Amino acid sequence: MKEITIDELFKAAGFKPNKAQCKAIKHIDGPLFLVAGPGSGKTRVLLWRTVNLIVCHEIKPEEIYLGTFTEKAAHQLKEGLRTLLGRASNLTGKSYDISKMYVGTVHSSCQRLIADRNFSKDRSRRKPPLVLDQIDQYFLLQDTKFWEEAKEALDLPDEFFNLINQRLSNDGRYRNSQSKYVAVQNCISLFNRFSEEVINPDEVIEKSDDDILVTLAELYKLYLEMLGGKNRTRVDFSLLQQEALNAISETGQSGSVFKYIIVDEYQDTNTIQERIFFKLASGTNNICVVGDDDQALYRFRGATVENFVQFPERCKKYLKLEPETIWLNTNYRSRKNIVTFYTRFIDKENWKSTVKGKNYRLVNKGITAHSDDGAPSVIASTKASSEDVAAEIADLVKSLLDKKKVSDPNQIAFLYPSLKGAHPKRMIDALEERGLLVYAPRANKFLECDEPTKIFGLFIKVMGRPEKGPYSGGDYNDFHNWLDRCESEANTLIRGDRQLKAYIKHKQDELERINHDFELLSSEIQNMGLTLKSNYEPDKHKRKLSEVAGISSQAKKSITGSAFDRIARLRLQEGNPFQLNYVVNRATSPDWSVLDLFYRFCGFDHFKAMFDLAEAGTDEGPVCNLALVSEYLGRFIEKRGSVITGSFLADNKFQNVFFTNYLYTLFRMGEGEFEDVEDPFPKGRIPFLTIHQSKGLEFPVVVLGNPRKGSGEPQPVEAMVRPFISGKGEPLQRTADFDDMRMFYVALSRAENLLVMAHLSGQGVKVHPHLKEMLEDPSIDRIPDFKMKSLPAATKKQEEIPKTYSFTADYMQFQRCPRQYMVFRKFGFVPSRSQTMFFGSLVHQTIEDLHNRLISLNGGMQ
Amino acid sequence: MTEEEVEEFIRASFEENFELLRMSSGHSITDFAKTAALTQVLLYWKKLRDVALTVTDTEIKLTLPDCVSPDGRHYAIEGVVDIVRDSDETRMYDIKTHDCEYVKANIAQYEEQLNIYAHIWQELRGQSLDSTAVIATALTDDLRRAYREGDAGKLATAIEQWEPMVNIPLDHHKLDATVRAFGEVIDQIENHEFAPPPVSRLKERASPHKPIPFGVDVCRNCDARFSCKSYRQYAKFGVNKPDAEIKSYFDDYGSDVDRSEWLDGNLPSSIESELNV
Repeated sequence: MKEITIDELFKAAGFKPNKAQCKAIKHIDGPLFLVAGPGSGKTRVLLWRTVNLIVCHEIKPEEIYLGTFTEKAAHQLKEGLRTLLGRASNLTGKSYDISKMYVGTVHSSCQRLIADRNFSKDRSRRKPPLVLDQIDQYFLLQDTKFWEEAKEALDLPDEFFNLINQRLSNDGRYRNSQSKYVAVQNCISLFNRFSEEVINPDEVIEKSDDDILVTLAELYKLYLEMLGGKNRTRVDFSLLQQEALNAISETGQSGSVFKYIIVDEYQDTNTIQERIFFKLASGTNNICVVGDDDQALYRFRGATVENFVQFPERCKKYLKLEPETIWLNTNYRSRKNIVTFYTRFIDKENWKSTVKGKNYRLVNKGITAHSDDGAPSVIASTKASSEDVAAEIADLVKSLLDKKKVSDPNQIAFLYPSLKGAHPKRMIDALEERGLLVYAPRANKFLECDEPTKIFGLFIKVMGRPEKGPYSGGDYNDFHNWLDRCESEANTLIRGDRQLKAYIKHKQDELERINHDFELLSSEIQNMGLTLKSNYEPDKHKRKLSEVAGISSQAKKSITGSAFDRIARLRLQEGNPFQLNYVVNRATSPDWSVLDLFYRFCGFDHFKAMFDLAEAGTDEGPVCNLALVSEYLGRFIEKRGSVITGSFLADNKFQNVFFTNYLYTLFRMGEGEFEDVEDPFPKGRIPFLTIHQSKGLEFPVVVLGNPRKGSGEPQPVEAMVRPFISGKGEPLQRTADFDDMRMFYVALSRAENLLVMAHLSGQGVKVHPHLKEMLEDPSIDRIPDFKMKSLPAATKKQEEIPKTYSFTADYMQFQRCPRQYMVFRKFGFVPSRSQTMFFGSLVHQTIEDLHNRLISLNGGMQ
Repeated sequence: MTEEEVEEFIRASFEENFELLRMSSGHSITDFAKTAALTQVLLYWKKLRDVALTVTDTEIKLTLPDCVSPDGRHYAIEGVVDIVRDSDETRMYDIKTHDCEYVKANIAQYEEQLNIYAHIWQELRGQSLDSTAVIATALTDDLRRAYREGDAGKLATAIEQWEPMVNIPLDHHKLDATVRAFGEVIDQIENHEFAPPPVSRLKERASPHKPIPFGVDVCRNCDARFSCKSYRQYAKFGVNKPDAEIKSYFDDYGSDVDRSEWLDGNLPSSIESELNV
């Protein structure tokens, strides 16, 4: 074993940190406030700071809490640590194991905190509550029973959904809506804010004279009761954090379980998270937060940028200490003019606080570009109509690709405040007219994309289509129109593919047979005076069931099979007999699940061609969408089980549950996109992203497609909770403008080599006032005058930190079959029967736990 | 800890890990696969308690840093092993959820792997090492049959005859070749080259000692086989096939035994649980 210094580790890795970076990495005592501008190497600093603590200061990995907000960032941190620590191991001879370290998203760490013995009074382990994700939460809250009970208990008026929608909808189009779906979504956003701000509903009921708000607070109380009251067995993401805070408040030692608390993207924290972090740091005072208030985008999810801006004050309040502040302000990402452009932009807003001498933003960050390439790198289109601008930009993109200024179309990103609406659509059309492919999962509802439409169309053909109920309403009609489209697209496919036609027919026949068998067997059970719940006694029932007139040979065989018969008798002897339901289902269920059916559909020519494109690395877009379809089917299986039983098929239950309930909800939620934390955008396609999606990413070329002026109105939910939040925040009336500034700042700072601005004009077009000023500046370069020669070609970047590959999961898997590796490991298709990483990890981690337990007993087990 | 307590510990920690993995991966495995995974751990404890009781370092992460692929990519290789160290020798174990027949048949690739790990352990970490072995936890066909039949006597015999530990000779000569091959694979992955093996490979034995072709052993366990050009050629599936062959190509859910195994592993056990799911 050998001691080593951090400078020696830098040297071994060929890393030359700048002065501020170096200071931040080596800081070890007390609170630290890192203000990190775009492209300033913040992830690297965090990684090295953690390595310094573990390797040079002998802090155990499990004594460090390293939290962030997205799966992608969490993945980068884990990967980076593994690589850097692995390298350090070879220099020091020591092993650094991060498998038990708290490194990941704040949500995942909350789950662990709840179950962590270190925070319980008697060191016992608590079973963490089941976590409901967004979709689960919706299903729970839309439950008819809940609303019936609420209606009775709170005496809700009939038009209550409409009242909710009038008051809470962000989007003006929904304010007249009667829709339960919209109302439930609105309730969810309000309830989440209540939970995140730890607002006591009783206080709201007592203090407020706003009738609707009072009723909503009552509803919130009912919702909390439904989750189990004081002893919650289920929680949503917001309440999960409350549970975690409660869990760590149980003992007095919570403040010293971790020696270091490090939180990335701190501008995205909410009130409750701030309390958790300060609680965890209360024993050691070692809290380091990293972030950039100018990139705060998540107010609508409860993020409170003040937590970051006022971090020095908060430290004084919670820890009685002043943090050391370090400014990471050298930008390594973008060419010089890009950096100048976005720093000029953010300074145009008046950020002065009503408190004299204070600002709502950390001003004077002193951001400078590392690059000294002063050639034009920000260009605007000619000021023109949306169509003309789209055409001009599409031509530019085409020539960037032709002149090899980028190595793949996925290096050119189009960013928009929202992908709904006419501008992005025109841009996509213009690119497609020039033979270019785009990837725009959020431009439409995901299910309306080509691949899911066709796949679910085939599902309709096999499983049958749900009937349209006597309801009206935009979404419901849209959904049924989509089902129409699914069906007609499927019909077209079937007409063009004889084999597919034969296969579909075969599946239809199979299900018909199963339905028939199920009816016959159930009525025989009734005739015997029994129910499906009755116990199965082979001696009494086997013959009668297997000899029912008209049942298929398959069903007969299932009932009489000798292996099953033996088990059934054994279970009866053991006093644990099968129910008749089991016997009937066993005889009347297909051999396949919805995922099995999906993989078979993929074998027909139309879909097979998509796999062929991905295999060759030509176009990965369609396969990404298929991977997401598999994920949705996998979720359905998680909720409903793999087997589509005869009783599930009976009375159109399956159609109702699968289409009318599950898919309809996904359809309304609308979102959904392929996510690959390592390699986010399919090769061969130009990505169209919302600015929110682009956070944390960088692209050689960025096009800002619609620099629109916002509504200026605060979010209704925000206005509603504001009176119950303590502390001095940004004035409600200014939040929308501030949020727009930060959003465009994020967009502008994503570009490395070239930033292209659409300069729109025409009727109804409103450009953001500060951007308008900059676009109308006569000195701005325009696309028609742009000299492509001055633009450097985007080179394939050498990863800052080399990637680590696993011998088993990468090398051996790939060697076995590259295609299988691609489908399951690269694109993350949810398997139906293939053994996966999940299986191996489960076995390994359990054996590891067993070993650790035995090691800790140290021979205590004889 | 008593025998029951160990088993109880295994079950509890298994459930916990299952939940954590489900959370972090966003997906799950079928009940059937879950039971199979638990069986592997319980059997490991039953059969290899001597190893389990003497392990001194578990799940050690070994990294070979600063490798460079033929195309010039920098990367690191990582693996995980268990170490048993006592007064006179150090053994390295690699636990795998493969079956021991497969490991024996494909011994060359395990030799490559464990020799890289041994190199990191000995050369980079400066630790001593006397021998290495793979522990193959997957159930062999014999064991699976015994479980299915539920006969305690047969099961005991099958466990008795099971040899999950496969010794791997130490031989550092292959190191450079392995690292080179690894680098080539990394380049293919990063260059997005994912063509399946040719049909000729699918017709060959899965491995020299296994009388089953690759097309059955590997492909039949792959959900993505239907859209694979090599598998289609292997299964002689083409455009002009009669309807009956379309059925048999797509509905290959295995033997009757496989089918009922899947059903019994996944069917809801009672009408109540069916309604609750």
